[in-house]
This record gives sequence, structure tokens and C-alpha cells, in this order.
Amino acid sequence: MRSLFLFSAGLFGLAASAAAQPEPGNLAVTIYNQNLALVQDTRQLNLPAGRSRQEFPNVSGQISPETVTLNGQGVGIVEQNFDFDLLSPSKLMEKAVGEEITLLRTNPATGAETRERAKVLAVNGGVILQIGNRIEVLRDDGLPVRAIFDRVPENLRARPTLSVTVESAGAGARPVTLSYLTPGMSWKADYVTLFDETAGKIDVQGWVTLTNTTGTTFDNADTLLVAGEIGGRGGGYDSYGGGYRPPPPPGNRPGTETPGRESLGDFLLYPLKERTTIANQQTKQVSFLDVTGAAGRRAYVFRNSWMGTLDQAASADTVLQFSSSRDQGLGDALPAGTVRVYMKDKRGNAQFVGENRIGHTPMGSDVAITTGQAFDIKVQPVVEKRERMSGDRWRTTMRYSLSNARPQPATVDLIQAGLWGDVRIVDESRKSTRRSADETMWRVTVPANGEATVTATFDTRY
Amino acid sequence: MGRAITAWLLLGAAAAASAAPPVATSPGPRAVAVTVYRAPLRGAGQAMDLRWLNGFALVTETRRISIPAGESDVRFEGVAGGILPESAIVTGFPAGVAEKNQDAWLLSPASLLDSSLGRRVHLRRTSLATGAVRETEAVVRSGAQGAVVLETPDGIEALRCDGLRATLAYDGVPAGLSAKPTLSVRVRSPRAVSATVTLSYLASGFDWQADYVADLAPDGATMNLFAWLTLANGDETGFRQADTQAVAGRINRSSYSPSRPQAPPLVLRCWPSGTTTSDLEEKVFEREEIVVTSSRVMMEMMPPPPVLMEAPPPPPPPAMMAEQEELGDLKLYRIPERVTVAARSQKQVALLRRPSVKVDSIYRQRVNASNPPYSGKVMRVLVAENDSASGLGLPLPSGKVAVFGAAAGRRILFGSGTLEDKAVGERVEIVTGAASSVTSTFGNRLAAGGAGETEIVVANSNDVPIRYEAELDPGGMRLLPGAELPSRNGRPLWSVTVPANGEAIFRYRVEKP
Repeated sequence: MRSLFLFSAGLFGLAASAAAQPEPGNLAVTIYNQNLALVQDTRQLNLPAGRSRQEFPNVSGQISPETVTLNGQGVGIVEQNFDFDLLSPSKLMEKAVGEEITLLRTNPATGAETRERAKVLAVNGGVILQIGNRIEVLRDDGLPVRAIFDRVPENLRARPTLSVTVESAGAGARPVTLSYLTPGMSWKADYVTLFDETAGKIDVQGWVTLTNTTGTTFDNADTLLVAGEIGGRGGGYDSYGGGYRPPPPPGNRPGTETPGRESLGDFLLYPLKERTTIANQQTKQVSFLDVTGAAGRRAYVFRNSWMGTLDQAASADTVLQFSSSRDQGLGDALPAGTVRVYMKDKRGNAQFVGENRIGHTPMGSDVAITTGQAFDIKVQPVVEKRERMSGDRWRTTMRYSLSNARPQPATVDLIQAGLWGDVRIVDESRKSTRRSADETMWRVTVPANGEATVTATFDTRY
Repeated sequence: MGRAITAWLLLGAAAAASAAPPVATSPGPRAVAVTVYRAPLRGAGQAMDLRWLNGFALVTETRRISIPAGESDVRFEGVAGGILPESAIVTGFPAGVAEKNQDAWLLSPASLLDSSLGRRVHLRRTSLATGAVRETEAVVRSGAQGAVVLETPDGIEALRCDGLRATLAYDGVPAGLSAKPTLSVRVRSPRAVSATVTLSYLASGFDWQADYVADLAPDGATMNLFAWLTLANGDETGFRQADTQAVAGRINRSSYSPSRPQAPPLVLRCWPSGTTTSDLEEKVFEREEIVVTSSRVMMEMMPPPPVLMEAPPPPPPPAMMAEQEELGDLKLYRIPERVTVAARSQKQVALLRRPSVKVDSIYRQRVNASNPPYSGKVMRVLVAENDSASGLGLPLPSGKVAVFGAAAGRRILFGSGTLEDKAVGERVEIVTGAASSVTSTFGNRLAAGGAGETEIVVANSNDVPIRYEAELDPGGMRLLPGAELPSRNGRPLWSVTVPANGEAIFRYRVEKP
């Protein structure tokens, strides 16, 4: 604001402008998950009758100028300009071509100063000056010369600057709202989850984490966070990397409950309780969820993605299962973010045991996230036999050896993937559930400090 | 220059900042605990790169903080530079935490100038001829990207384009700039209190591994197994007298610390400064470019690359050994005494020791049965069962293994291999290198009935019998004879004891299935 003030009032003395008197504006910021924010900046502007130009130099450094709108009582927009010609010594000199500047020469031996006026003739690789009726190159002798300009040319800005020329029906102060979209601000959720395995309970604290890299500080802003996908901008939360992601572990089911939160169409709204200052280069966290004693349990999943042999047994994934439902769960919708899981060690200190991302999760969902791998629970899949039956049909016998070095029994969801739809199970040592055309699953209980084996024969193509 | 003076007067009025809440600063922790996690994607045999550690740590600190009544900001100083701000958990404030902030707008020549846009600064010129120092007022008119354009009582000037010695002096540090990324919380308290606060956060730039040292007994039937817990801190923050733990097992990570914020350099550019004698090339335009950098990271001396050293001989029973406990599905190793985890350093503590572990030495080869010349080499493998009957029976975190034996009256290195995470009850196999005393050759011969037969001849040049195993990979063919062979991981296994200085022969055929 101080810059706005200075630019419009002090320096340029713009012809039509009566120097708007910007009071601390009323700033409202709506932040989306996809590196996008809507800024609404309401300020009291003292507008003269007729046309005047208003400058807004302290908007977001990454403003999308094409999305700017200005609203005010009796204010019509004549034109909007976004000037990004930045003030620099070179630009200053180039714009001074044809004009006079002051030269202040310093005698290197005595320090004595002499002053003279010079006309800038050209700035092409070097500065050509006319002093009286002599032509000189600036600092051709390498001696100190201060070049002093009378003024800063118009349109040269310290920062990219938005200016709006308005036509006002009458003179006087009135609130005017400037609104625009800007990238550089984003938010996500972070969940701190303390898991008590013995009690089967989780305590969850949810924090919204917003970041501001716009280059601008938003003072005392009324902040609203919108959970949901805004299309069309790309770079969405989950599109990072874009590579293959293994399917989520069993135990995920989208919910159908409506949370007691403000919503707008498809979006859930998370207003911050109080106004806050979002500083440049700041990461800010505000709590939005605090649940104790929700149900949580551990599950083990091993997914063999194709019918191959592992030379060494591999650890099963450790999966944390919980619910976002009102009954026994977290009782809220969960905006996309990272769930970090902690468990207490023997001394009662919380230790980190893994994390994973969740997408936007409706209330009432069953959630299962892989947090890591179990040191003590391992599975070794082995191709026991492969026989050609006829033509392109093969018979593949798989043996899965499961081991559990924990002193409690463990239930492992053993998944064989890569079934491609036309694979049939000819024989199996225990009954499996076909989860999809591609996957079949056995739920195997491995005894404490014990082992279990599953065998199955598949009728496969190739 | 009446206009400029007006601007300054107006500026003074506008600069009166809105009142911020008081700030309480906590310079450092009273007690700290560090739990180090191995880089999730680093393989068992891949060495730690001390300059680029991809593991992480959970740092838990206890701090004593006096907070005033009402609303205040508490700044935490001395936290690890690799902090993942969104992972910070702060507990212990009487009325909770209203918000947590991490400010990363760093104080640097460029940001100082940028934040001073439109403000009054002092321009100090020193005459090289007389030594006289002259100070004038100036207002910064340009952002830091182009260079410095100043408004002085004389008019508009560019800093350092005039060949004079000049510099800017500022009246203070603009609000919002900090020396390092700083974590702070906004708290409210009904009255002034002194609170014991716990701060915990994840930080990048740490790693650890197990380093095993196995000493084979002269008879080769047992080994003395010792392991170091080697942990490294690549952060610029050290932790004195820390409760230190390491966690074994693989953890899923989905967030990584953002790259450390770096202060952009301040670039001073002048107008084109070509002269009658200079080459009028494009380069000339930027000739007086002066780069003032404040990036500490760039200037910092990197620690020297790690010296590859085999682990020293196992000491007598170590005076201090890590204690293992269960942590969910992971294994936690606690260093029983408080130790200092210094900045940019590597530390080793005894992880485990088993003086007499039963081992078998075997020679193993994977044979490409239908195309023997493409077979693998004969490898030396050390096999042990991870149970108490064999003198082992404890979780073995992944790491490198150096195997020593004794010969010619001294300890010599027999081989080195790697070990994945091994649970109790699993078989431990360490491939320690390719064999040179046991060789296998493949030949073809015509068997009875005119069919082609492959022959494996294993020659043992040792003066003791050895155990040899060929894992026959049929590669989609049918192996004859196959049914009578045992199988290992689904592959037919020919297993034989080759006599001292003797040979063993195996013949087989492959057929299309």
C-alpha cells in the first residue's frame, strides 16, 4: 500500500489522478488446492469525477492480469493496463534519448566536482552525449561521472504494475473491489495420526497447510480454503509424476455421508476462523480437525503384480485402515493431503512409522493407506511349474510362502495380479476371491512365529 | 526537488506499520531426541553419499518458553535446516496453537533492496582522492531484478554506474525477512506463563545403515558377527546430548522437503558502457555486471567424499550397544546413552553382536539350462539360519557385510556382500564374491539314442571338499532328468559335494515342452 501511495501521489503526479487515499484494504483470499487463489481487495478509493487512473502496484507478483475485475459504485472501467516494463539503469538511459541529463564529474586527484548538462543522443552499446557543441561518449576515459536524470519515465515500473483507468460518475470516496486470480498460492491438508495398535484407536489432528510464493504478502486477509479440483489449469495435486501408481490396497470404499460443513456445489469450504497475514514465502498451518479415539486397525497386504518368482521373501505392506464416517470414524470429509502415522515406542515417545497421500475423501469413506512394509511379515512367491497345455494355453503353478516373525498371528491379504481377465484358477489350496478381472485375493492368517503356504494353479494365455 | 521531499513526508506516514503481536524467541532446545530413518529407496548395497543423504529424521525437542499474556508469536530457533514445516507438531502450550508458520523469505542483499522499494535509505559515497565520506538520502525506485535506481536530492541515479565508491545503508531490517527459514507459532495465553513445550518435526538430510563385520573361524563352521549402526547427519544443525534412535524397515514417504530456499543474488547492471576503444559486441552491454551473492549453500565447503574403508576389526564386547525394541511393524534401535549427533558428521555405535554363528559355505551357480554359455558365475555364498539354535535369532537390518578370515597369520578380507532386512526365522544368504578355486565347464556329448546332452563338470582345486549347487533355469524347456531333482525357488537344483581336489559331473537334456 505504501508503494501504491507513493507512486500515484508523490512521484508522478498523474494528470487526472487525485491521488487515491488507500486505507488498509479489506483483503479476502480464496485458495484452491491447485496452485490458484482468488484475491478480492476492497479498498476505499477517493475518486474524482470523470476519468482517472488508479494504480495497484502491490497486487500478487504472479497476478493473472486477464482475470482482473474492478467493482465500485458508479465506477466504469475505461481500460486496464498491466505494465511489466521494469525500471533499470539501461531502460532509464534508453528512455532519456533526446533529453538532457546532468553530468557530475569528479576529479580523481582532488575530488573536486564539476557539473554540466548533456543531451543523450543515442544508447547503442555505449552512451553518446552532446555537451554544448561537443560530442562525447559517456565515461570514455573511465573517470567517474555521475549521470543524473531529472525524472523516472512513465511506464517504467519497479514491479509489474496493474493500472486501471476508470470513469467515475461523481467525486468522492467509496469502496472499490479489485478481484483477480493468481497462481503461487496453494493448500493441502496434513494429518497427524497417532495409532494405538493395542487399543485399535487413532487420534487424528488435521491441519490445512497453505503456501504463498507469489512474492507478495497478504496482510490481515479473510481466508477461505476450497477443497476440490478446479479444472483446466493442469498441475493438479495428483498429476505430479504422472507415472504408474499401484492400485490402492483393499479396504478403500468411497463414502456417501454429507459433512456438516459449508459447501458450494462440489466444493467443501474451509474458512479460517480469524483473519491472518499470509506472508511471502510462508508456509502456514491452521487446525481444522481434531478427533480422538476413532477406530483404526492394521492390515497386511502383499501384491504379486505378475506371476513371477522372487529369490528372497519380500515384506508385506503395512496398511492402516480407518473410516471417515460419523459412526466410529473421523466424522468429516478429508481434503486431499498427507497422512503421517506415529506410534509410541516403549518409553511412550511418539515415533514416525510412515505416511501416505489421500485424495479428496468424502465423509463415510473407508480408507486404507500403505504406510510402509512389515519387517517381520514376508511373502515369497515362486513359480513351481509351467506347462504348455495346448496352443497358447499354459498352466502355471504358484506357491506363496508366508512367514510371520511376530508373536501375534497376522492376517495377510495376498493378491495375485496380472490375470488379464482370461486367466482361470484351475486349482488352489484355499478359496480365493476374484477382486477384479486382473486380481485375485486370498486372506491368509499366518500363525504367531509361524508360516503358511498357499498354492494355486492358473490356466493362462502365453 | 520539492516533489521528492513530498514523497518522503508521505512515506513516513504510510510506514507506520500495524501493531504485530509480541515475539517470544526460543533459542534452542533443553532436551532433544533424534530418530533416524534409512533412505526408503536406497538399496542394501548402495553406499550413503554424505553430501546427498536421502533418509530423514524425526526430531523431538523439549523447550522452556516464557510467553506473555494475550496473543504472541513464539519463534523456534536452532531447528534443523531440512525441516519439513508441515510435519511440525507443537504441544504443551496451555491454550493450544492458533497457527503455525514457517517463514522462508530470507534476508539477503537482494531482498533487503526489494523490501526497501519506495523507502528512504542512506547513500554513502567515499572519495578515493580525499577519503571524505559523504552521505545523502535516497529513495529506492527499482526492484532488485533490474538493478538499483535511486532518487537522490540531485535527481534520478543508478547505483555504481558512475565509477564512484558508493553503497546503501538501511535504517533497519524490513519486517518479514529472516536469516534462516524460521518456524513460529501463534499462541494465546490468559496470563504470562512459562511453558514446557514439545516440538517435533521431520527433517531431511539424515540416513543410517547397518554395517556388518563377519569374522570366520579357522574351521569355517562359525563366524563372529558384529554390526555397526552407522548414522549420518548432513544437516547444518547438530544435536547435543540427544536421545538417539534408528528405525529399521521400509517406510512409505510421499512428501519430500522442498529444496532449501535460496536468496536470489543481487545483480547490478548498468546502462550500455561501450567506449570508443571497446569492442562493440553484445557482451559489452552487461560488462559491468557485479554479482553480490548471499547464498551460503553455494559458498560452503562440502565435506570431503567418504573414504571407503572396510570396517575395523571387531572390538572386544562393546561398552555400549544399541537396544532393539518393536515399533509397530518396524524395529527401533535405541542408543542407551545420550550422544551428540553433530552437524555434518557420521557416527557409529555398536548395533548387535553374536560371537558364534553357525555358517555354511557353498558355491552356487545359476545355469541357463538351454544355453549354458549364458550361465552365471560360480559364486561363494555364506549361509546361516537366523534362529537362536544357530547362534543368531534377531532382526537383521539391511546393510553391507564384510567377511574376514585368518590366513598367513593375519586377518584378511574374504569378501563382501549385502544383506536385505531379515526377520527372525529367515535364512540369511550372503553372496561374498565370485569363486576362483571352484570352476564349472559345460560340454556337449552325444548320448545313447543320438540325443544331444549337456554335461556340467565342476572342478574343486581346494584341498577340502566343497558344496556346489547348480540352479538350473529351464527357460521354458523341459529338463530331463528333472523330476528327481529337488527344487529351489521353483528351479531344479543339482546339489553335490565335490571331493577335495576332485570333480563332479552332471548330465542333462532339454526338450520342447
